Amino acid sequence: MLSLVLLAGIYVRALVFTPIEATQGAAQKIFYLHVPAAICTELAFGICGLVSIAYLWLKDRRMDMFASSSAEVGVAFGTIILTTGPIWGKPIWGTWWSWDARLTSTLFLFLLFVGYMVLRGVVTDPDLRARFSAVIGIMGLVLIPFIHLTVYLFRTLHPMPIVLKPSAPSLPAVMLVTLLLSFGVFVLLYVGFVMQRYALAILRDVRDEEAANAA
Amino acid sequence: MTSAPASTPPADLVLSARDISRRFGYRRVLNTVSLELYRGQVLLLVGANGAGKTTLLRVLAGLLRPSQGTVTHSAAVGLVAHDAMLYDALSAYENLAFFQRLHGGKDPARIRALLDQVGLADRADDRVGTFSRGMVQRVAIARALLAEPTLLLLDEPLTGLDERTTRIVLDVLTGLRDAGTAMMVVSHQPTDFLGVATHIARISKGGLTVPEPFTTASTTAPLTYDGA
Amino acid sequence: MPSVSRAALAIAGKDIAIEWRTKTAIISGLVFAILVLAILYFSRDPTAVSDLDIAPGTLWVTFTFAAMLGLNRAFLLERERRAMDGLLLTPAPRSAIFWGKFLGNLVFVGTIEAVSLPLFVLFYNVPVWNRLPQLILVIAMATIAFVAVGTLLSAMVVRTRHAELMLPLLLLPFLVPPLVGGVQLTASLLNNRPLSEVWGWLKLIGAFDIAFVTVAALLFEVILDE
Repeated sequence: MLSLVLLAGIYVRALVFTPIEATQGAAQKIFYLHVPAAICTELAFGICGLVSIAYLWLKDRRMDMFASSSAEVGVAFGTIILTTGPIWGKPIWGTWWSWDARLTSTLFLFLLFVGYMVLRGVVTDPDLRARFSAVIGIMGLVLIPFIHLTVYLFRTLHPMPIVLKPSAPSLPAVMLVTLLLSFGVFVLLYVGFVMQRYALAILRDVRDEEAANAA
Repeated sequence: MTSAPASTPPADLVLSARDISRRFGYRRVLNTVSLELYRGQVLLLVGANGAGKTTLLRVLAGLLRPSQGTVTHSAAVGLVAHDAMLYDALSAYENLAFFQRLHGGKDPARIRALLDQVGLADRADDRVGTFSRGMVQRVAIARALLAEPTLLLLDEPLTGLDERTTRIVLDVLTGLRDAGTAMMVVSHQPTDFLGVATHIARISKGGLTVPEPFTTASTTAPLTYDGA
Repeated sequence: MPSVSRAALAIAGKDIAIEWRTKTAIISGLVFAILVLAILYFSRDPTAVSDLDIAPGTLWVTFTFAAMLGLNRAFLLERERRAMDGLLLTPAPRSAIFWGKFLGNLVFVGTIEAVSLPLFVLFYNVPVWNRLPQLILVIAMATIAFVAVGTLLSAMVVRTRHAELMLPLLLLPFLVPPLVGGVQLTASLLNNRPLSEVWGWLKLIGAFDIAFVTVAALLFEVILDE
């Protein structure tokens, strides 16, 4: 059922996408995908942090599973953005990487949450793993505004070409609509993936519990 | 040992544990364990490896929070565990002084007295890293006694000790018992504690048997270890 | 029951006493810092870029690496003979363990910085004297940030396998704001630019310090085993 919603979402985006592209240069196309995706990635990490707070407050194992699902989806999105970005960017901007505000923030947060996943892989006791993850999740949440501030301050001091931002001073309505639609689709994708991942985690948890009690 | 419930706890009650359960992940290690200890009682705890003895001790000491149940102490608790919980680079005296500070006091005379009680007065200023196992264990006991506990918990205290040190430790424990300290001792060799322990109980699969008086008969009857 | 400050000072004092006696970590840290400084200096291309341009980055990279080496030491100490359990058995407040370790780490990292800084000035021949108080302030503020997050994270990873890898992996993303800020501020100071120009960075590091010292202190007890 969920996958149907996702497919619908992708279709809509593709349909709306194509008529618009005719009016822009090819270069602009990218950010319809990347900006919303990057925002969604950060959203995923932020939600992870918020749910982590809830976990520590309520001590409900399911919240840990939700938080880690959100983080995983964020890492997956991040991987896609950070790999496809340079690949698309090279022929268009002539450089593999640029310290664009959005990309940079995404990069550092992505790396942190990769660390989060590694940590989860290393700690075997589920209770300890949940608590450690919650700590990183919450700290990551607090870090998000500071990373943005850092990038912002750096760029005001050392202005650099803006690549992933709509360059028009006022955004034509048509571009804005596409952007928002794309963002909506990514949120849908996020929700869909997280729910699936969460469902999987719950199933695993039930199975592990039964196995332990049978022993 | 389990007395009729009273409205106020008797003055002799040192430890009261009710329905202690403890899980690790999905595994249940302790299963509704209840226990009461009174002044001067020395309870010997036996059971197979992995039955939950160390976990129970750590819960009673306050290092682990029980998943369910409550533990009530009348006063301070001391723990002598598998590991000595000491710093090798510091001397015996410095170790005790440090932990004493964390208990909120500063009493050099008491430290000297404790080291004397465990027979280490002459090695007070030597680094713990240079000590033999027997000496380390004795400092650990001294450390557990810093806060003048009414309850002392010991996890296999005689393991790896030579005869002389074993005698010293048993003498210390007997002295403490006679002075009113309650104790719980986990041991795989109950016969070592003849004349010291007053009661014996067994843990099996996370459950605790009702403690019985500890006599020579308790040690000659075969202690069956069903798979824990 | 001892107060938090007394217990924390006792713990920090104990750590410093032990380190003073064994000296292994501090000497390793110092030698490492000196090596990093020297290697980075030696391997630069003096014709391509001026010393003044790369100096700030070098200084902060050195501080960061040396700090990371030293941070694991504080909790590793408590693992031999399970001394941490000994701390938890006392009535001392658990937050005191964090503050004590935090203080001890500050002294440790601060010592390495205090030795590295003169060497840095020596190698790079940078004009530091008229801006020394401000520079020390910047270094101190960024160090507080490093050590606050580092103390919390090292308490966590010390119980995992690959602790030496996990700590940098988890810590470095958090060091981005204070590190970048530190470099920018240092560069500005060395070039004798007025502090007002980079006031934003100072505020950033200050806010970071307040936020993360608070968060680290609050989350520390979550990490202790129960």
